[in-house]
Amino acid sequence: MSDVMEKIKTEDRTVEIKIRDLGMTFKDNNGNDMKALTGVNLDIYKGEFISLLGPSGCGKTTLLRMIADLLEPTDGSIHIDGRIPKEVRLMQKFGIVFQSAVLFDWRTVRKNIELPLETMKFNKAEREQRSSEMLEMVGLTKFADHYPVQLSGGMQQRVNIARALAIRPEILLMDEPFSALDEFTKEKLHKDLLQIWRKTNKTIIFVTHNISEAVFLSDRVCVLSPHPGRLSAVVDIDLPRPRTLEMRETQHFNELVLKVRNSFEGGSL
Amino acid sequence: MSIRKKITSKPWLPMLIWIIGIILVWEIAATIVSVTKRTPENVLPHLYQIFGQIFSTKAVSSGKTATMLVLDSASKTLFRAAIGFITGTVLGFVLALIMKISKLAEKTIFPYLMLIQMVPILGMAPIILSITGDINTSRIVIAAILTFYPVATNTLAGFNAVEREKYDLMYSYAASKYTIYKKVLIPYSIPYFFTGLKISAPMAITASILVDTLQGDGGLGSMLSQSLKHAMSIYVFWLIVFFSAFIGIFSSYFMGFLEKAVLPHKRKTKIKRKDDAV
Repeated sequence: MSDVMEKIKTEDRTVEIKIRDLGMTFKDNNGNDMKALTGVNLDIYKGEFISLLGPSGCGKTTLLRMIADLLEPTDGSIHIDGRIPKEVRLMQKFGIVFQSAVLFDWRTVRKNIELPLETMKFNKAEREQRSSEMLEMVGLTKFADHYPVQLSGGMQQRVNIARALAIRPEILLMDEPFSALDEFTKEKLHKDLLQIWRKTNKTIIFVTHNISEAVFLSDRVCVLSPHPGRLSAVVDIDLPRPRTLEMRETQHFNELVLKVRNSFEGGSL
Repeated sequence: MSIRKKITSKPWLPMLIWIIGIILVWEIAATIVSVTKRTPENVLPHLYQIFGQIFSTKAVSSGKTATMLVLDSASKTLFRAAIGFITGTVLGFVLALIMKISKLAEKTIFPYLMLIQMVPILGMAPIILSITGDINTSRIVIAAILTFYPVATNTLAGFNAVEREKYDLMYSYAASKYTIYKKVLIPYSIPYFFTGLKISAPMAITASILVDTLQGDGGLGSMLSQSLKHAMSIYVFWLIVFFSAFIGIFSSYFMGFLEKAVLPHKRKTKIKRKDDAV
């Protein structure tokens, strides 16, 4: 296992996202302050697959939304290669995948994938070339002219991922993308996602409440605990790459799952 | 297959049952009426008597057969209804757009839209007539007034039904407000817009017929009141009743047909989620 650790350490470990003393306080209905997230310090490396793991109410989605500039933090700061999230968003460097596929019913699969490219004023030839490339990557070439209603849940989620990747984002933000899917579909998409990640070398920030999913996919798992939401541990996952489904049966995998489970604070788990 | 399954798998079956049922009830009633009343055709004639009129070559008024008369008046009424309907549709859509763009507009316009809708058209018609001074114009205006409300409210409901994630997604692409309207809000609202059209198309026709009755100058409504006053065969009255019902229902179905023509994804059937394959 030690040479695997070596490999991770010697890999390109430039810090891409620097999160300092980050906090988010919402006002509840009675006007009282409610801390959704507090005191988060975290460095995310370029090209890393990192998971934000925790039960509901731990602020993992809040953290993701702040990185994506969908939410403005009330405390602390986020810098991405020295820029604030808003600048990065305006440079169109984020790809976002939500839990629901958020497809546009009136557009075909291809046109769904091309939507961000249209928004970013790519010309037709470029759009088609990129969408074809993406369709192939997620294995949906045959379904290019289908409408979302004609697709299964798993296929819809692939379109969602393809659309996020079509703009060639530097950072892929995924908010529980597979939690609505059945086990079989999920396993297939795990494999696909890891393959895509290897091919494209994006930084992936993956929000989930599923411990074994987080351990299986990630380089590091950030464990968040609720009330108030905070980062309670960061666990290195030293499983070798490429990951295979068989690894889930190994003792080491189980030890890592246990280690992650034990790092939750508050003992609610 | 159980009866329940049969009915749910064949959507035309309940309709057939309804039609047969109505014909049965009608004919039973007509038979009773024909032996108990002195002028049964004024109360409830047999269906064959009414539909027989369609093919009758006998002139009922100024050298025209009943069918010619009905079609003639119908074309006048439908033309007015159509112009009113189109005007109302455009107005309704634009209004919905304005209300979506500006919260202030929504707050100031929306409650009063409902008020207009509460005034009975028969009360409104003379007012509109005295404003416009022209019966034809007022027919169009009233059809438009009745059309624009369902269109405006349904389209607005469509705009407001867009999920937050869609906005988030567009925001992450750094899309402009104009792009969001063009690529998300307006296409998203189209099925809702058509729901409005399906409601308002028969309303525009009804309104047009109703306003016809206020003054002569042709149209189904004026024919209706004339035939009721025995100025011509009573069967003309019944023909008009049936024909109006038919075009009312047809207009709504026609909007559904248009919707499917405009939106290809509405023609595709949803896959069954049970055999979810990757």
